[in-house]
Amino acid sequence: MNQPARLVQGFVFFVLLLPLFLSTGWAKENETTLKIGISEEPRTLNIWLASDANSRKALSLIYQPLYTRNPDTMRITPWLAESMPVYDPREISYTVRLRPAKWADGSEVTADDVVFTVNLIQEFEVPRYYSKWDFVRKVEAVDKRTVKFYLKEPKAIFTTRTLVNYIVSRKEWEPLAEKAKTKEKPLTALVNTKVESPLGCGPFALEDWKEGTSLHFTRNEHFFGQNQTLAQRKLGPHVDKILFKIYGTADVAILALKKGNIDFLWWGIQPGYIPDLKKDEDVRVFLSEKSALYFMGYNVRKKPFSDRYLRQATAIVTDKDFFVKRVLQGYASRMDSIVPAENTFWHADDLPHYGQGLSRDERIKKATALLAENGYSWKTPPVDEDGNVGSPSDIILPSGQPMQKFVILTPPADYDPNRATCGLMIQEWLNDLGIPAIARPMSFGALLQKVKGEHDFDAFILGYGRLSLDPDYLRSFFHSRNDKSRGWNMSGYHNPEFDRLATKSVSAMDPDKRQELIHRMQEIVMRDLPYIPLYKPQEIEAANMKFSGWEQMVGGIGNLWSICQVKPNE
Amino acid sequence: MTLRRLILRRSLEILVIFFLILSGLFFLFHLAPGDPVSRMVDPSMSPEDAELLVSQLGLDQPLWLRYLYYLKNFCTGDFGISFHYGRPVVEVIGERLPNTILLFTTSIILSALAGISWGKLVAWYKGKRVDTVVTITSLVCHTLFLPWIALLFIWVFAYKIGGFPLNGMISPELWSDPASGWFVKALDILHHMLLPLLTLSIIHVGEYLLIMRSSMLETLSEDYILTARAKGLSEKRIRNRHAGPNASLPVVTNVGLSLAFSINGGALTETVFTWPGIGRELIFAVSNNDYPLALASFLFISIVVLVANLVVDVLYAYLDPRIRY
Repeated sequence: MNQPARLVQGFVFFVLLLPLFLSTGWAKENETTLKIGISEEPRTLNIWLASDANSRKALSLIYQPLYTRNPDTMRITPWLAESMPVYDPREISYTVRLRPAKWADGSEVTADDVVFTVNLIQEFEVPRYYSKWDFVRKVEAVDKRTVKFYLKEPKAIFTTRTLVNYIVSRKEWEPLAEKAKTKEKPLTALVNTKVESPLGCGPFALEDWKEGTSLHFTRNEHFFGQNQTLAQRKLGPHVDKILFKIYGTADVAILALKKGNIDFLWWGIQPGYIPDLKKDEDVRVFLSEKSALYFMGYNVRKKPFSDRYLRQATAIVTDKDFFVKRVLQGYASRMDSIVPAENTFWHADDLPHYGQGLSRDERIKKATALLAENGYSWKTPPVDEDGNVGSPSDIILPSGQPMQKFVILTPPADYDPNRATCGLMIQEWLNDLGIPAIARPMSFGALLQKVKGEHDFDAFILGYGRLSLDPDYLRSFFHSRNDKSRGWNMSGYHNPEFDRLATKSVSAMDPDKRQELIHRMQEIVMRDLPYIPLYKPQEIEAANMKFSGWEQMVGGIGNLWSICQVKPNE
Repeated sequence: MTLRRLILRRSLEILVIFFLILSGLFFLFHLAPGDPVSRMVDPSMSPEDAELLVSQLGLDQPLWLRYLYYLKNFCTGDFGISFHYGRPVVEVIGERLPNTILLFTTSIILSALAGISWGKLVAWYKGKRVDTVVTITSLVCHTLFLPWIALLFIWVFAYKIGGFPLNGMISPELWSDPASGWFVKALDILHHMLLPLLTLSIIHVGEYLLIMRSSMLETLSEDYILTARAKGLSEKRIRNRHAGPNASLPVVTNVGLSLAFSINGGALTETVFTWPGIGRELIFAVSNNDYPLALASFLFISIVVLVANLVVDVLYAYLDPRIRY
């Protein structure tokens, strides 16, 4: 045998022996380490830069907000704060009392840290945070544990969206902020500061980050919630360490969960994996509701999409239950409002459920009748004189012009097969009415640019996987002020009545009054349908049976309450 | 043309090509559809927040101005800051590159060694059963769909049989153990390399084996092989000392270029095995419009490929004095 062949064979022999050697002595199982699988590496631990889901997951163990969501009611509940904020309408101010707490290095969390956080955000105008704080006129530390926020004007979102933001340590960030101020572009310098060891007051502190592989967290002995009862829950944490392991593909992550390499997959699982996971006795599957919205939007700046009746006909002919049962295999629910039904306080019940419970022929008949009543016609209508549904000719607009072909943009199937399939289904259902729609998958970035940046589109299907529980997004999505490049009003919807209600809702400090306004806004949107809500998938998660105490709430079991309560089974 | 003039001319050509690549990539990325900001915002952010983000990323400047900044920064060795990591892209690439080089160069070298050895043997036994079986197997291996075979190997060797890690490059638990020395850590990396290495080698070895077989068959028909036989040399000596080294030249050339291209990594291999290399970063940077990271990655690959081409050209000219371009 020649030299290269011997080398190769020698190497093969060596590596075949290697797993035997490695797998015997080194596998260390520590029951107090919770191993969590995540899809991608967190991009950063700089709180001012983090925009991706995995960075936020890591940071949620470290930095803490004043208030968080109660798992039962989903209303805000004190977290780093000791009690609910006290509102003074005369001064338009909120007073917040902090509970005794320490940062992970043992120093005290004080009102001064809160003041510093707000001032930093306002001074640097930090994107993602600034709009939540820009209406705060002044913030002052009344004493070591009391903070007072003075608002420029009443803002209903202050408690639900502002006070739930993280507080940072002055000790950690003041030197970094001062250094950033000396640079030509202070904001860029601040957000690009490399943070290797973030200082928080949460249940865990970062121990080390192995780039591309894992993140190790150790229990923060100074965590203010340790052994405390908050929202009727006795908090831990009951594990010593948390290990985030990074998996590039869902297939491998699922195998890792089944093999016991990880205890929880903090990652939405596709329904196709459920049968296999349910067969495994060591794995438990959790199905949770999500605050999400998947919808079809029209460009109402353009004719004929500016016609409400055309949009209503689309809603009638769209079989949302088909999506839920067939495309999403039952792991979803239909949506008949922009606000998910699980958001019970803000969701309006009394809204039209277009086409619900109707057969295909009934939907076509109803949509045809609506269009005919409003001036649309066909050479060969979808429903003949005897009431039979057939193949129609192309629809003719009220102006007498035949409707031109139009495109429904969808994300590609490799990005989201569900939305791509929905586009095709809606295309077919619209064709049943003689409406010449074509579904066209497009790369997600290009789709966003066309829809959000350039407004160069006819219709689109998009979704939000994590909608805030505060319904202020209704205002973002449909207020005419946001109809601009990169604005959230992608459909270009303009309705003075809606604008008036939306503006009023921002300053409605009485929750019941605001609820009334939000309900009315939903009614208007569901009548005019700039967006047609389609469905809302469930959050599918899986965890190993080795641990219990998961807190299942809207959004799943991957949350801070779970992290503080989960414990190894005896 | 003298060798020196050849090198000079080739270098100048490479500089021009590189400038074209430099400019082409910039405009390709910036004119391609997609907006990095749209991917970084959520409905809780106001349009003003999005504008702040645009300004922070420098995307509010006109394209020509951004191009001039880009050229200026390139000349000063500044490749920019990654939009997503908020860190210099050189730092991000520098962290990932050694991992890619380790996996892919090992795989290419091993595959080349195996391909040369086995290709030589099957050519020697041309027409025999071993030749038919190995040639067909090589063809099959060469055309295998890499992610499929990678997942199959993970399922069989790591999940069903066990003993191999499912993914990654290191065992976090082991590396966090202060008792683990450098030798143990090195073995751990090797342990994690096995499955990706096996997957890549199976694909590559087929390619090299087929090239070697074909080259060897050609060499065996040369007159000097006949002369060697006439001299009474042993068959083994003729195969290994006379035909083998000459026939392996095309494989060596191929390996040289493959090593250059290996810098971009096998994005699919790295994704399936969660190997923290540059291929995964490249895919991420392109799909998320992280222009600085994507541009720097492609530029780096371009430089390596251009230099590798220059080296191969010069080597050819040096080894065979008849060659002048």
